[in-house]
Amino acid sequence: MRITEPHRRHAPPISVFAALALLAAACGDSSGPGTGLALTTIPIAANYGIHDTYVRDGVAFVCAWDDGIRIYDVGNGIRGGSPSLPVLVSRFKSPGWGRAHNAWWFHNPNTLEARYLFVGEEGPGRIGSSSSGDIHVLDVSDLANPVDVATFGVLGAGTHNFWMDEGAEILYAAYYNAGVVAIDVSGPLSGTLPANRAVSVTPGGLGNTFTWGIQLAANGWLYASDMLSGLWQLAPGTLAAQTGSGNNVPERVSSDLWVRGDYAYTGTWGYRGNRPGNALKIWHLDAGGAPVLVDSIVLPGVGTVSDVEVSPDGKVLMFSAENGPGSGVYWYDLTADPTHPAFVAHDQVADGVHTATFASIGGQLYAFGARNPAHPALLIYDVTQLLPP
Amino acid sequence: MRWLGAACAALVPWAGAGAQSARPSARLDASAVAVLTAAGPVPRGGGMATELRIVHPVLMLRAGTAAGGLGLVVTVNVDGWTIPNGELAPGMWGEGFVDRRHPHTFAHEIMLVARMPVGGSRVTVAAGKGFVPFGTDDPMGRPPLRYPVNHHLSQILERAVAMVALEHGSLRVEGAVFGGDEPATPRGWPKLDRFGDSWAARVTVRPPLPTGAALELQGSHARVHSPEHRDGTGLDQVKWSGSARWTGPLGPARAYALAEWARTSEGGGAFVYHTALAEAALESGPHRPYLRIESTERPEEERVAAYRTVRPLRDDAILGVTRWTIVTLGYGLDLLSGRLRLRPFVEGSLGGIATVGGGFFDPAVYYGGTTTRAATLGLRVATMPVGHRMGRYADHMEQHAHH
Repeated sequence: MRITEPHRRHAPPISVFAALALLAAACGDSSGPGTGLALTTIPIAANYGIHDTYVRDGVAFVCAWDDGIRIYDVGNGIRGGSPSLPVLVSRFKSPGWGRAHNAWWFHNPNTLEARYLFVGEEGPGRIGSSSSGDIHVLDVSDLANPVDVATFGVLGAGTHNFWMDEGAEILYAAYYNAGVVAIDVSGPLSGTLPANRAVSVTPGGLGNTFTWGIQLAANGWLYASDMLSGLWQLAPGTLAAQTGSGNNVPERVSSDLWVRGDYAYTGTWGYRGNRPGNALKIWHLDAGGAPVLVDSIVLPGVGTVSDVEVSPDGKVLMFSAENGPGSGVYWYDLTADPTHPAFVAHDQVADGVHTATFASIGGQLYAFGARNPAHPALLIYDVTQLLPP
Repeated sequence: MRWLGAACAALVPWAGAGAQSARPSARLDASAVAVLTAAGPVPRGGGMATELRIVHPVLMLRAGTAAGGLGLVVTVNVDGWTIPNGELAPGMWGEGFVDRRHPHTFAHEIMLVARMPVGGSRVTVAAGKGFVPFGTDDPMGRPPLRYPVNHHLSQILERAVAMVALEHGSLRVEGAVFGGDEPATPRGWPKLDRFGDSWAARVTVRPPLPTGAALELQGSHARVHSPEHRDGTGLDQVKWSGSARWTGPLGPARAYALAEWARTSEGGGAFVYHTALAEAALESGPHRPYLRIESTERPEEERVAAYRTVRPLRDDAILGVTRWTIVTLGYGLDLLSGRLRLRPFVEGSLGGIATVGGGFFDPAVYYGGTTTRAATLGLRVATMPVGHRMGRYADHMEQHAHH
């Protein structure tokens, strides 16, 4: 059954959001009263601030835009850090490029190395038309001394979010107007990576492609969320778009995606015409893997659902929200019915949260959020007990 | 016509030698404009919006020492009280506002000005918060009430600035260093740690003309660091401006005409915006007709509300570029001729909106059409000397002396 944009009963009413925002503003705090989940807040340089966070093995890579990459021990042990008390291991800021947007720490199962950090640089662009920014490769063999070793670029386009098929040593990069680019990152990486390492596709075609995110799902298919043309199913080898996918979110601009089991969740961004990006789309993947829209959560007081993720155990859906009094981080329960997530909690953050990601550390489940300016910060939540046992 | 005459008197002869006050003096002026404006299209739906507002509420103190060597310019603008959410102005943009003119800062200008002869030339030095020597005159002092769309392409103001001007004959060369950060709120002050990260230069030539007329040709260039991001991590701008300004007799009337062109390149050429504008005014007895034609490109940024864009900026992307071509016609009638001036006026604008290049923004969808229109009934009340050209610090001593 397809239900279009119901105002779900579990979405807190706008008046509550507005009251919380006013209360927060009155208190001079850009975060709301919280949920009791917040562990700590790490202020990031008061320039652009923090855009994204990649957490793995107890190490958090904070993409701090002009300030480059910050590496924190949040439970790895190399500096004695923990999620409640992160310890800065190192910072990397290239004189040659800036605007660190996103990252992926490559754990190569074939060589057992965790040598490379891929960093996406986001440059100026026109949404829906043009973009800029390259992929930079840092050698983080020594986390205390990252070294810039390689770069990859696509002429006339800029990179956005990543996913990896680590076993195949392929980096998948959403590449805005260049669609999806698959890059062979096997072997040592240095200098400018040649174009023949990559294949690409513009799933919506020219003028109808501006890809935000990509994910290789457990079912073997690639899924790409395109701002203009919606959710696509792609073949991993050829990147060929599969019939029955794409051109399926005509009324809004799509944003991030997450695929888990037979379900996918996509966010929405900004305005398309007069429709705000206040919807979280819920998709069922049919037997052939094609996405079928089954429901949406529409959030009053939100202008963009900017990042979407499901917890590693598949039980919790999390997304970040911006541009309105309902901004912050949302958590929903997927255990009863993944097509109809049940509201669990919302941390109201007046400045908005641009990205949020889960990480399992020491048997506990944490969420790392990137709070926007004017009070940019890394927000860390303990969400282990979010759902009743 | 007096304001044009005063401006001419300030300009010709250029330096006004010997006209300086014999003793210290100060003058306090005020102005405000009451307006009833209907304008559209309203973002996200089209149609017209109507508002009654007080705009340009300004207090200005100008003081000078004996012999006119040192001066002080203080302008307080309380837009922040009267139009905290901006003034209806389709096409206008900047400082987080779009389709509304942003309120200026309360401390609009606080500038110390010193002027001295050096050989056969004159040197003016000015510092404080105020106008950067770039581009054309502040729209607040020009005939139309409506701000041009190109305000942020053609002027740089409300910055921490230090400038020097050298005048020799009909040539003036001005240079300035300043902080690139735009104001973020009406109560905002420039970030002092940004001072000096930007610079501008303007060359002005005023060729001799028959008595009663003045022609001014200017070209200017500026490099502005991160104007849109207060903390300095936004895109840099490279700006060019050229203009010709003429005042003089036209039959029994006096006339004013301005033609300008400007270009702003942002992010190393990632975004380029152009503007061309021409305007003219007549002063014939109490009658004040005027006309402006403008074609200006502007960025379309992500909006968080109908008239507001994201501030601080979160990244360097825009949704597209639009070109606003607007014709504005107005008529004012001077009712008083003393120091206090009353000028009721009516003003109307009609224009079109077009997309320039690629991008996601479609004005036909967003506004429900590509036509913009505005109509204003207003009453301007001022003690300000007519023709005062705000931010022309090298002229300040002349104007002060003549008042």
